[in-house]
Amino acid sequence: MRRLLHTAFKPQLFLLLAAGLLLTIVVRENRFFAFVAGITMISIMWAAGMNLLTGYAGLVSLAFAGIAGISAYTTVGLVMRLGWSFWLAMPVAALGAAAVGVLLGLPSLRLKGFYFALSSLVIQTVLSLGFVYFVNLTNGDTGISQIPPPDIPFTGAVLRGTSFDLLLTFAAWFSLVAVWAIVHSPFGRRLIAIREDEVLAEAIGIDVVRNKMLVFFVGSLFAGVGGALYATYVGFASPRSFDLLSSLSIWLMVAFGGRGTLMGPVVGALILAPVPFLLQQYDTLKDVIYGALIIAVIVLLPGGIYGALVSFARSLPLLRRLSTPYKKSVPHDRSVHGA
Amino acid sequence: MGKGATTSGILNNYVIAAAVSAAAVGTVLAAFAAMPARAQSGQPITVGVITELSGPYSFFGTACRQGVEFAEKKIAAEGGVLGRPLNFKIVDDQTNPAQAVAAARSLDVQDNVLAVTGPTSSDIALAVYGYAEQNKVPFVVPVAAFAQLTKPGTHYTFRVEPDAVGWGYAAAKFIAAQKPGAKLALMYNDIALARAIVAGIKYQAPKENISIVSDILFPQGSNDATVQAAQVVAAKPDYVYLATVGAFDVTATNQLLDLGIKPEQIIHNVGTTSTLLGYGARSIGSIYGSFFDANLDNVTAEGHQFVDEYTQAVGRIPSYVENFCYNTPYIVKAAIEKAGSADREKFRDAMSALNMVEPTSGVPISFDKNGARKEYMYYMQLTGVAPPKSYTAKKLFYIEWAPETLPVYDLVK
Amino acid sequence: MMSSAALLVAISVITTGLVLGVIFSLVAAGVTIVYGSIWLPNASNGQFFLTAALICWSFATWLAMPIWAAALLTLLVSLPISYLLEATLIRRFYDVPDRNIAYFVVTLGVTQILSGIFSVTYGRWSDQFNLPPVVSGITFIGPFPMTNNRIFVLAAASVLLALLFVMLRFHPYGRALRAVFQNREAAALRGVNVRAIYRLSFALGMLSIFAGGILYGMAYSFDLTVAWTMAVTAFAIMIVGGPGSVLGAVVVGMVFGFTQAAVSIFANPTVATFSYLAAMLVILLIKPSGLFAR
Repeated sequence: MRRLLHTAFKPQLFLLLAAGLLLTIVVRENRFFAFVAGITMISIMWAAGMNLLTGYAGLVSLAFAGIAGISAYTTVGLVMRLGWSFWLAMPVAALGAAAVGVLLGLPSLRLKGFYFALSSLVIQTVLSLGFVYFVNLTNGDTGISQIPPPDIPFTGAVLRGTSFDLLLTFAAWFSLVAVWAIVHSPFGRRLIAIREDEVLAEAIGIDVVRNKMLVFFVGSLFAGVGGALYATYVGFASPRSFDLLSSLSIWLMVAFGGRGTLMGPVVGALILAPVPFLLQQYDTLKDVIYGALIIAVIVLLPGGIYGALVSFARSLPLLRRLSTPYKKSVPHDRSVHGA
Repeated sequence: MGKGATTSGILNNYVIAAAVSAAAVGTVLAAFAAMPARAQSGQPITVGVITELSGPYSFFGTACRQGVEFAEKKIAAEGGVLGRPLNFKIVDDQTNPAQAVAAARSLDVQDNVLAVTGPTSSDIALAVYGYAEQNKVPFVVPVAAFAQLTKPGTHYTFRVEPDAVGWGYAAAKFIAAQKPGAKLALMYNDIALARAIVAGIKYQAPKENISIVSDILFPQGSNDATVQAAQVVAAKPDYVYLATVGAFDVTATNQLLDLGIKPEQIIHNVGTTSTLLGYGARSIGSIYGSFFDANLDNVTAEGHQFVDEYTQAVGRIPSYVENFCYNTPYIVKAAIEKAGSADREKFRDAMSALNMVEPTSGVPISFDKNGARKEYMYYMQLTGVAPPKSYTAKKLFYIEWAPETLPVYDLVK
Repeated sequence: MMSSAALLVAISVITTGLVLGVIFSLVAAGVTIVYGSIWLPNASNGQFFLTAALICWSFATWLAMPIWAAALLTLLVSLPISYLLEATLIRRFYDVPDRNIAYFVVTLGVTQILSGIFSVTYGRWSDQFNLPPVVSGITFIGPFPMTNNRIFVLAAASVLLALLFVMLRFHPYGRALRAVFQNREAAALRGVNVRAIYRLSFALGMLSIFAGGILYGMAYSFDLTVAWTMAVTAFAIMIVGGPGSVLGAVVVGMVFGFTQAAVSIFANPTVATFSYLAAMLVILLIKPSGLFAR
């Protein structure tokens, strides 16, 4: 907890929060841009969770959106049918979804590297089929409409408009703080060791499966909280919102931005999340542009956009001069970005 | 990966964070500057069309867009409405509910449209429904058959296509009229539309003395129905009702025929031109539900003109999807004229009180207090195919009923 | 003695299982050959499967070619497509250590591009596509009427699978390919041109996927959604069978086909889909490297 507090006051994280809040306030008048910004904030949160799994622990989880979906449907069910407060339903749903995620992931967590990704793809398919099949719980592929926004406890009012946007901004920021804190903890260092060399990690006494299970649980929590917020923010939930393509696009935000860095997924989400909304007029070319962009980044910028931005920044003489004296004072920063 | 970041100093993080934030804020500000001015009187009246131009429903969305565009041109040639042009702004929802909600928001906030219309898929329509009801934007749904779009308490949404539970009701009535005491087999995909239809059939079948001898649900993405067709054959039904979708619909039909089911025993939930042609010559004699067919006697002169022009432009005759989307702009136009202004509330009231006939077929159009249309359905029999352009069919049955005839909102949640 | 109704259902299960099984096996063999040699998890395998069916449909419909000629020409078309992909995208990652991730992203990009193109072209044109039958008529197997067209598809796919096996087992290229599967460093030391083998296996894998797509299009109507269904099925078969094992792909592909056909007698088809995906997870728990992994 102390670490979390300590982390929260890191100056660059503060700057990010300030930028996020500024963005939210600037766009608040135009409800369309505010909505796109809100979805982007949820995407940042998801990308941060996915980054923890993919970037730091080497687990490419393509069932991410499915787990978000379990949480979203649970939250909606608890709120709309049982009349729970959103603030009680969301944590219960997110914890439950993460637990289900670990249960389903248990067989594949023993798999090395890429087979895990492949089997998570199958798990996602099972979840998608389940969302359609269990009509009583999910209303099938019709989806659930008119999901109420979160309540403000003890007031009877609901959270909507700009205050909901601000909540999302804080949530996105908090997830970055959490990732930072986790990565800097001994647990984070164990994860990086596992990602780098599983056999070696095992040899030096790290319980690989247990640590993977733990990080999968934590990463799934990000998915779950994001899912609950997503359903209430959009006001609608259907299997299409939590399908394989959604998992892939979250994962792409991470790979595109630069996995294993704190800022990379943020950059990825900021660029990729609004694209489908802003390109709504260009239906013919949109997917082709999206695909070409992905290929271009992997071929031309293997470190992701963020990696390229950093090397570009370092090539500017002014920035190099400014940044040089700081380098020696923060040697631990290496372990954060250790690739 | 991420090697570039390995040696970066803390200030670089700063700089990047600042640059990213500045870029994000800058983009949004630039977008603001490019925002269109709000519509004023004398200017065109704009209606938003949110439809599926990409993704799994792109076939239906594109068909719908074509229908809307034909009507838009004709209305423009006739001088618009209230002396103002009536424009339809078409936006792709990518067959994705979140995109559709964003599109509704964009049309509402940025373009200040009078109303929205367009989705052809029920879940997309339901997503837009939530937005429309909450933000008081009139929503005219041309081709989405889900009953919950007009559940009690609905105020701003109007459903032009009869609801799917009713399709099942109509099917039971039709079968009872064809053969009293018939034995029926059901084959359907796990989609909302099919489940609603089947709920309607199962509700009405006992009342019509129809026994259901086989009830087979296929998951989405099924590809083979041979075994199920064999099970159906073994159950010896008089009719097989198919509510399967896409290519699987054609596969299942062919496999039933392979196993000796006669075309006259097969009832398709609905028929679009492309699927009717896809079934091929061997399925001549099979039966399908419809709401508009170029082969019907009641097609008006304007209807024939639409059919001819559409066929010339697209290469095949329009089916009920294109027809609903062609008629919807006329419904909007009639309501604007009745309201006498492009005010959303007045438009809504005018829609609610509307009493007109479809320009293409003369079928009556009026909505109940929840926005549900006076329901109707045809059952047609395929009599010939002329791919890739057209087919011939004859009417076997027509039925009209009030939306309250059956408890649709209890049967489908 | 079985009643004729039961016999009808039983034979329908066998024939359906065989037809689905051989098509699944062909595609999964294509995917596993490429993954086993290059470590390329081809996320776009479903899109190429669909590409093959659509190209064949276009040749048959728009150019009015006889179906057998359209099918052969489509197989030929796969070669320049493979070459182009290999030369522009695949080749540049041959020496990257964790290239499977990079490949996965690249092939996802390809998937996005292809599905984008298809959804605004073919997808707008029709919601289902049918190839004309190669042979017409019906043959009775006991009480069960099987179309000759499906018998042809079954035979053609079996012949192709047999050819694939013979080639991998006896042809020098096949032996070199298997050497690379097992140990690429050792193979390189023995004088095998590893890069040439990579290229060959990519082309061979694509050819196999294309053949699967064409045969699927002959046996069934298809639409654009078949791409994702097939991609996931092929991956699942590869995982259970053991990545890199063609025998595993074929055995598990047949099991998947039969399961899909048979379980629907006892449960509804959705439950059947659940059950075989669940079975996959159980197999992973017991033998994580796949049933036929070396």
